[in-house]
Amino acid sequence: MSDHATDFAGDVCAAIREAIAARIPGARVEVTGGGGHYSIDVASAEFTGKSMLANQRLVYAAITHLMAGDRPPVHAVDRLTTKGE
Amino acid sequence: MALSEHQRSELEKKVRAGEVVLFMKGNRRFPQCGFSATVVGILDKLGAKYETVNILEDPSVRDGMKEYSSWPTFPQLYVRGEFVGGCDIVKDLYGSGDLQKKLGVEERPVKTPRITLSAAATKAFGEASSDAGGDVLRLEIDPEFNCDLHFAPKADGDLEVRSEGVAIYVARASAGRADGIAIDFVKGASGMAFKIDNPNEPPRVKPIQAKALKAMLDAGSIELFDVRPEDERRTASIAQAKPLDGEGQSLLATLDKNKAVALHCHHGMRSRAAGEQLLREGFTNVYNLEGGIEAWSRDVDASVSRY
Repeated sequence: MSDHATDFAGDVCAAIREAIAARIPGARVEVTGGGGHYSIDVASAEFTGKSMLANQRLVYAAITHLMAGDRPPVHAVDRLTTKGE
Repeated sequence: MALSEHQRSELEKKVRAGEVVLFMKGNRRFPQCGFSATVVGILDKLGAKYETVNILEDPSVRDGMKEYSSWPTFPQLYVRGEFVGGCDIVKDLYGSGDLQKKLGVEERPVKTPRITLSAAATKAFGEASSDAGGDVLRLEIDPEFNCDLHFAPKADGDLEVRSEGVAIYVARASAGRADGIAIDFVKGASGMAFKIDNPNEPPRVKPIQAKALKAMLDAGSIELFDVRPEDERRTASIAQAKPLDGEGQSLLATLDKNKAVALHCHHGMRSRAAGEQLLREGFTNVYNLEGGIEAWSRDVDASVSRY
C-alpha cells in the first residue's frame, strides 16, 4: 500500500477533506484510506433532492486536481457516499 | 487539460459508437478492475447489447473521457450519448429498476437466494444488529466472488432473505451469486470472523505455505509437481516433487480430478499460471506453493540450495 507512486507530499486524507469542504461549505466529510485508495463519505444539505450522479460529480469536481496526472495522490476512490441532511 | 474541438468530436464519436457504450478497464471477458467487472456483470445479466472501450489501451481516451464526462474514474457508462455514471450509480439504478428502463430491457425475474446460517453466525448477527440503528445487514458479492457483508441502509431492489430469524438484504446484482451460500462465524488468524462458503464460486488456485504443504505431503494427501525446466531442477529440487515433464504429465492425467495437487516453481509465479491451466482442465483442488522452492528452503529444508 505504501509503495503507491506519487509526488504529493503531505496528508492526502486531509487534502481531500479540505478540498471538499472548500467546494461544499458546511459539508461533513469523512475520509479513510491510504496508498492511493480512499473512501469518502460526505453529508451536506447541498445533496438533498439531487441525483446521485449530480452529487458524486460535485464531490469529484472538488478533488479533480488530486486525481489528475500520471502520479496523482488519489489513484482510486473505493467508496463515495453522498448523504443529504 | 482542456479538450480541443477536434478531441471532443473524436470522443463524441466513441460515445455514440453504439446505443450503449461502456468505457472500462479491460474488456468484457477480462475486466481489469473490480468496478468494471461489476458493471459488465449487471449489463450481461440484463442481456443488454453494449460496446466496450478499453481505456487502458489509449491514454488519450483515458485522459480525454475524464474531461469529457467531468468524471475522474472508470468505468463510465453511456446510453444514447448520455452519461449515466460509474459503478455505484449503475448498481443503484439497477436496484431501483431505472437502468432497465433506460436500456429498454425487461428484467428476468430474480430468484430470492437461499442462505444458511450457523448457530454462531446467527448469534453474532443478532448481537451486531442490536446497535446497528436503522441500518440493515447487507450482502454484496462481486463478479470475482469477493463477499462484502456490512451494515448499511437498505438499497433499492435489495432482496430480503430470512434465515434463522435474521434478515439479510442481498444486493439485486448479487442474487445469483448468493444462492445456496452458508455463513459461519469462526475464529481466524485475527480474531472472530464471518466465513462464507459459496458453492457458486468457481475453483481457484489456492495458496499454500511451505510448512502446510510439508504436512500434507507427509500425510500422503497431496501430489506435488515441479513446473521448472530441467536446468533449474538440477540446481535445486524438493525431494517429494515430481517434475512436470512427459512422465509427470502422464501421471497427472491418471489422477482423479478432485485429488489435491500442488505445484511449485522458483518463486511461485510460473506455478500459479500452471495451476490456472489445471483448473481449466477440470482439476478442482489445486494448490500453489507460495514463494516457491525459495520459501521451501527458508521454512522447511535449508539443505535445498537457493539460487
